Amino acid sequence: MKNLITVEDLIIKSVEELDEEKVIRLASKALKAGMEPLFLLDLIKEGVKRVGKLYEDQKYFIADLIMAGLIFKEVLELEEMKVQFRRRNSKILGRVIVGTVKGDLHDIGKDIFKGLMEVNGFEAVDLGVDVSKEVFAQGVIKYKPDIVGLSGVLTSTIDSMKEIVDTLVDAGVRNDVKIILGGSHLTKEACDYIGADCYANDASAGVKLCKQMLGKI
Amino acid sequence: MTDVKALQQERISIYHDVYDDKIPKRVPVNISLPFEVIAQFGGLDLCEAQWNPAIIEEAVDKICQTVYSDVCVFMGSFRYPSFYQILKSQSFQMASNGFIQHPEVTGMLPEDYDYLIEKPYDCLLERVIPRQYKAFNPDDPINCAINFAKSILAFNNDFMQSGMIINKMEEKYGYYPGGLLSGGFTEAPFDFLSDQLRGFKGISMDIRRMPEKVAAACDALYPIVFKMGLPPIISNYTQVFIPLHMPPFMREKDFAKLYWPSFKRLLDEYASMGIHCTIFCEHDWTRYLDYLYELPTDTTLWFEYGDPKLIKEKLGKKHIITGLYPVMNLKTKTKEQCVEEVKRYIDILAPGGKYIFNFDKSPLLFSDIKLECLCAVAETVRDYAVYSNAGETAGMVFNKADYKVEPSRNLESKYYKTWEQYKALNPEVSDFGRPKLQNLEETIFHYLMFLLV
Ligand code: B12
Repeated sequence: MKNLITVEDLIIKSVEELDEEKVIRLASKALKAGMEPLFLLDLIKEGVKRVGKLYEDQKYFIADLIMAGLIFKEVLELEEMKVQFRRRNSKILGRVIVGTVKGDLHDIGKDIFKGLMEVNGFEAVDLGVDVSKEVFAQGVIKYKPDIVGLSGVLTSTIDSMKEIVDTLVDAGVRNDVKIILGGSHLTKEACDYIGADCYANDASAGVKLCKQMLGKI
Repeated sequence: MTDVKALQQERISIYHDVYDDKIPKRVPVNISLPFEVIAQFGGLDLCEAQWNPAIIEEAVDKICQTVYSDVCVFMGSFRYPSFYQILKSQSFQMASNGFIQHPEVTGMLPEDYDYLIEKPYDCLLERVIPRQYKAFNPDDPINCAINFAKSILAFNNDFMQSGMIINKMEEKYGYYPGGLLSGGFTEAPFDFLSDQLRGFKGISMDIRRMPEKVAAACDALYPIVFKMGLPPIISNYTQVFIPLHMPPFMREKDFAKLYWPSFKRLLDEYASMGIHCTIFCEHDWTRYLDYLYELPTDTTLWFEYGDPKLIKEKLGKKHIITGLYPVMNLKTKTKEQCVEEVKRYIDILAPGGKYIFNFDKSPLLFSDIKLECLCAVAETVRDYAVYSNAGETAGMVFNKADYKVEPSRNLESKYYKTWEQYKALNPEVSDFGRPKLQNLEETIFHYLMFLLV
């Protein structure tokens, strides 16, 4: 028993330290020894959350978040995980659809936001990059999300984002969802102009806002 | 002297004063707008204008009459579709709306590190360029040669056309002839490796997985980026422009080990030759202000985000500061708010000199700005940012002799020959051919490396 606790802690810690090799080695070993894939997943998520915390404390930076996302993906791709693990999470906080808006191909920030949302218990649907207002509107109708996340870094995305919000208004679904914007260039004025509910210059702040909007904090 | 010539004299002297460590008569207004913004302003079809840059002239002329600036309001462009199309670029492609899109494409794989470290230029030409440019295909050598020749002809043609427009405007409106793209251009070794070689995600992994190779690759790339940035003429006024990408996204420890050494050396080596750099500190560099202080005196630091007060306090006596004023204001705020705000920036950044006005970044589309706000801000800087103590010494003074660097490793490759190497292989060639042949060697080098930035 004592031994097992050590392995769990070690896994969390090596994710936190972004020690990729060690994570994969420990994870494979643990799975072979009979660890439940879902349980392993929780450990990895805990590690990634700690990485997120280090990021908030400005000890880690974007390159580290990217690496954490990668380790997360690699674990999911381990044979045992792929075979046994079917994603059926009962305690989902809410569903979000995200996409980088029309005209913009930058997806690093969007991917980080999506990843952090997932480890924080949200189900995230990714619409990709250069996403048009039509695709967002269809996405809202199809997936019935609680939250729509618009990502972008180009100054020109202010207008793309506004068009998307306007389209959701025209489609009569604006009030069915909360809309959050994300990008380093966004300001309060820009958010008001676009007509979103809130905005974040940072992914972890965005996750908090999402929880707040759904009354989960 | 005509009014235009007199105005040009004034503009030259305010820029030169800044670079010569003197308080200028007023703060230079360094506003120049990208090709796309001006084409849209002129109501041109973006696709057509980029294929035929000459047709933008009328719109350029009109924007020059509308917006005040001390440099030509037309920046020119770096990216025309002709040469990217001919070479079948993967990372620069024109979208249906006429914008040149820049998707991220990995030009170098992790297993290429060893070869890059051993023979950097060979690796770039044999592996990276063919991945990024499908019509530069070594397996189809004759078409490869034809495509390459066509693309460089197109490149020369398009840059000449837009260069001519800039020259014409400089004459006509008396601008300071030292726009952003008028000197040298290069990247920090680490950014060169991150951008078109490994990509943002790739390099983030490499930092953790193989830091030693990353460091060695930066050293290997050093002679290439150094050579790439050398301006054609060296004077106290020509600048090498270096946009910086990765540091805000890195841990300081990684930055100090992997990014900084080769970058610092680059600026020191330029300084030892009397060359100054304008570095664009993209995103937020607050964590790195102490490092920036260590760069050669009179480096022009163009900031995107950050606290102007802190920046001025820490760096304003040694370096020339520019940027910071959010271009987003021009869209989301009223004219009056924009003007009030720019005065606040000037009050903080102008005292003591060593300041050039610019926005935090360039707008991307014409609709990113309200023209009346742009005009009002530009005119406010011109009229408000006037010094009463012009001619006094401004802060620290640059001295070339302060910078000593061991000469760097030379560029060695079977694809690049110095005159001596060429002559050894072709002893029959007359020395009369030297300037021409050497110049062509340099031109090809610059073009090939331009394809990777
Ligand atoms: C990496 C990069 C690229 C890469 C993108 C790779 C990729 N797969 O995304 C490449 C090289 C391909 C690229 C291309 C271009 N780029 Co670029 N690029 C950058 C760079 C260096 C970093 C952007 C980035 O990824 N930041 C890191 C991420 C994590 O930050 P972020 O996106 O803001 O995300 C954070 C938050 O905003 C938030 N977040 C993000 N999304 C969401 C969503 C929600 C809902 C929430 C809540 C939060 C949230 O969470 C993230 C983590 O905290 C910036 C400069 C800089 N230093 O910022 C320029 C920059 C954005 N690019 C710029 C430009 C101009 C371009 C090009 C047009 C260049 C060209 N002419 O060729 C093309 C555009 C292509 C296109 N149409 O999109 C300019 C934009 C200028 C402007 N006026 O808007 C910038 C600002 C550089 C500059 N200073 O001039 N680029």
